[in-house]
Amino acid sequence: MALENLKKWEKELNTCIRCGYCYENCHIFKLTNWESDTPRGKLILAYGMINGDIEPTEDIAKKIFECFYCRLCEAGCSAKVPVTEILTDVRQVLLDDGFDVEGTHVEVDEDKCCGCGICVSVCKPEATTLKEENGDKLATVDKVKCEACGVCTVACPSGARELKEGYEVSRKELDAKIDKFVKEKLPDDAKEKTVTFCCNWSVFPGLRLSVLPFEDKESNKTLVTMCTGRVDPEMIVQAMRDGIAGVLISACPLGECEHDANYKTLRRVLLLKKMLQQLNIEPERVKLTWVDTNEVAKLEKEINSFSEEVSKLGTVTVE
Amino acid sequence: MDVARLKSIVGAQHVRDAIDELYVYGADASVHQAMPQVVVRPGSIDEIREIARYANSELIPIVARGAGSGMSGHAVPLKGGIVLDMKRMNRIIEIKPDDMYCKVEPGVVDDDLNRALKPYGLSYPPSPASSRIATIGGEIGNNASGIRSVKYGATRDYVLGLKVVLADGELVDLGARTRVEAAGYQVHRLIVGSEGTLGIIVEATLKLVPLPKFRCLSVAMFDKLEDAGESIADIIASGCEPSMLELMDDIAIKAVNTTLNMGLPEVDAIIFFEADGKVKEAIDYEITTMQEICKKHNGQITATSYDLKERTKYFSGRKKLFAALAKYKDGYACTSLADDMAVPYTKMAECARKIHEIADKYGVIMTAYGHCGSGVMHTKILMNPNDKEKWEGAKKAVEAIYDYVDKVGGVTSGEHGIALSKAPAWKKARPDLMKVMTKIKKALDPNNILNPDKLMDAPDDWYTATPIRYMIDKEKTAG
Ligand SMILES: Cc1cc2nc3c(=O)[nH]c(=O)nc-3n(C[C@H](O)[C@H](O)[C@H](O)COP(=O)(O)OP(=O)(O)OC[C@H]3O[C@@H](n4cnc5c(N)ncnc54)[C@H](O)[C@@H]3O)c2cc1C
Repeated sequence: MALENLKKWEKELNTCIRCGYCYENCHIFKLTNWESDTPRGKLILAYGMINGDIEPTEDIAKKIFECFYCRLCEAGCSAKVPVTEILTDVRQVLLDDGFDVEGTHVEVDEDKCCGCGICVSVCKPEATTLKEENGDKLATVDKVKCEACGVCTVACPSGARELKEGYEVSRKELDAKIDKFVKEKLPDDAKEKTVTFCCNWSVFPGLRLSVLPFEDKESNKTLVTMCTGRVDPEMIVQAMRDGIAGVLISACPLGECEHDANYKTLRRVLLLKKMLQQLNIEPERVKLTWVDTNEVAKLEKEINSFSEEVSKLGTVTVE
Repeated sequence: MDVARLKSIVGAQHVRDAIDELYVYGADASVHQAMPQVVVRPGSIDEIREIARYANSELIPIVARGAGSGMSGHAVPLKGGIVLDMKRMNRIIEIKPDDMYCKVEPGVVDDDLNRALKPYGLSYPPSPASSRIATIGGEIGNNASGIRSVKYGATRDYVLGLKVVLADGELVDLGARTRVEAAGYQVHRLIVGSEGTLGIIVEATLKLVPLPKFRCLSVAMFDKLEDAGESIADIIASGCEPSMLELMDDIAIKAVNTTLNMGLPEVDAIIFFEADGKVKEAIDYEITTMQEICKKHNGQITATSYDLKERTKYFSGRKKLFAALAKYKDGYACTSLADDMAVPYTKMAECARKIHEIADKYGVIMTAYGHCGSGVMHTKILMNPNDKEKWEGAKKAVEAIYDYVDKVGGVTSGEHGIALSKAPAWKKARPDLMKVMTKIKKALDPNNILNPDKLMDAPDDWYTATPIRYMIDKEKTAG
């Protein structure tokens, strides 16, 4: 049984003290609120499967295949357990054992894929390859390796790739959230509405486990997009078309992006600003800022000053 | 178990009974593991009342669970039944800055509460080290305390009032909103530290204090552990009011140096002390007095700072100690056993020495560190968890340490609570308390459905109380 291969992680699994610090910032846990979806929960499941306490099931496999690889679990770990490395191995073993389940990995619409291979070149974890089928080239995603950063979804010229729905980061879900935000009534003293697209690997104010008493009253909505390399200029324009007065993008500092994608974001934003100018829209309505993982205060400041600036510009009309 | 009924109470999406769920919810940060029959996530007080009524009539155990970060098996469902995951009830209901209190649901995470209080210049200070995930319900369940408890006290000092669902489903509103109340039994205080055995906390009213304006940290090195111990006792006796007073022994120092390359001087002991407040002159006075005391006992002051960045740097060795201990030696695990005794201040150094002695005798590695300002001495047993002989040694070491602690007038647990792993020693040390607690438990939970077989009802051998989480080789497992 391939599960035997996981025995090599026994020592690491023993060092896990099960404190639970790993789930403080876990995107998946925040979505489901079940402890079995936390990194700790998954390590406990891996442990149970290795020692024979529990048998692998589709449910377990599905959980293991749900991860955005932000590695905030590892950053928070009391015992420095290589959480994602272990769980990636568990993925492989489960797949080898026939658990071919759906997880967070990027989906390819084969009808739309033109086989150009751009996705292959932007994929840092080397999870994308081209395969030949009846003389046609088709992009495929390796479920084990895909870290669901979303960078390829923007790079794909034929719109054939998308992050899965159900994790609040697919284009459809993000658009719906913006739409809902646009329709919300703000308190009288609030300013123009702005949106901040935040990177899952950097920092975002939604990193909270509890519900604060006065939430969502501000004029800014922060949305986690996964890597900012997946922020499509079209997404920004769409937000403005919906009635958002300004879009702030908060990315990891240059040189520190896990997916080498923030350079792409930078180029895209520069181009977009030029385009906005031609459309007679103030380019200041779009801003890209660099925020490191521990710079919570900076992000807060950036959001406040950006909102301030945008409120001076007033509402926007996009034809 | 009528899972369909539970689903009708809280909604099907908040009930799970698949094996994978049960396996995960059977563990916490202790060495124990046991499985519930079902996990339920209530969203309201009424739902909890209905669950309790049902469980009480069918004699089904209910184990309330916060973050599951307890270190002695608090939330491990020894008798199966229902695990009540309280994390869905995570609203900070209100913050009353003028009245200096707040009301929260039990699933609110400590750090989140403090983040929400910060803009008001307020804080909730008894936070344990695990505050980033620990819930207020769990902290009350454990009467948690932490690094700043030397000045600010434990959870019990901050719980003004509680709403509690009793075993039969009745909802009671206990305590007050005011700082003081002299009216009858302090029943809300009884719930603090009850480890989920007397009722389910559904709302808490907590006392708040102003955030200090300044903090100053200083570090002293000692060539002899005894000198550090005497400094600690003298600091407390001098009337100084440190907001933190921490000790690290030589093993702890070695651990952070070898595993994290911290570069701390390899002395016999380090103490970290901090003072906080509104006025710098007052803080300076406290810090200088403490430094003088350390110097008198041959301590060398190596750093002092008000600056947050510098303080964080100096303290990082202590802060990262846990990670270092977990990685102490290849193949070793850091097990939570005999982990938080409290002893009289004058016995601090002796206790640390004794721990080393006992560890040597029984062939395990133990370190001594902790919130010495509150009299708490932390240890961890470091060993290869797959080695049966080491477990035998660990068992004897635990017993010997608790015997010593009892002899010098200390307590089994100063911080993390009793639950399963500490119950045998604690029961032995506190027979009178057992009698009274048993009567109270009978009165409030006659059917014994709330977190049964914990505290005074826990098995007499922690090692066989549940399967031990570590051993992958089943032949070696105890349970
Ligand atoms: C790395 C690490 C460091 C720690 N540091 C400290 C420390 O410095 N100080 C300290 O005191 N502890 C410490 N702990 C232990 C533990 O984290 C704390 O005691 C914490 O308060 C437990 O909170 P929890 O939400 O995880 O509770 P859980 O572990 O889920 O539950 C604890 C107990 O409370 C009961 N309970 C939970 N919610 C309710 C409720 N709503 N109603 C009734 N009963 C309830 C449970 O039944 C259980 O008996 C530490 C643990 C770890 C892993």
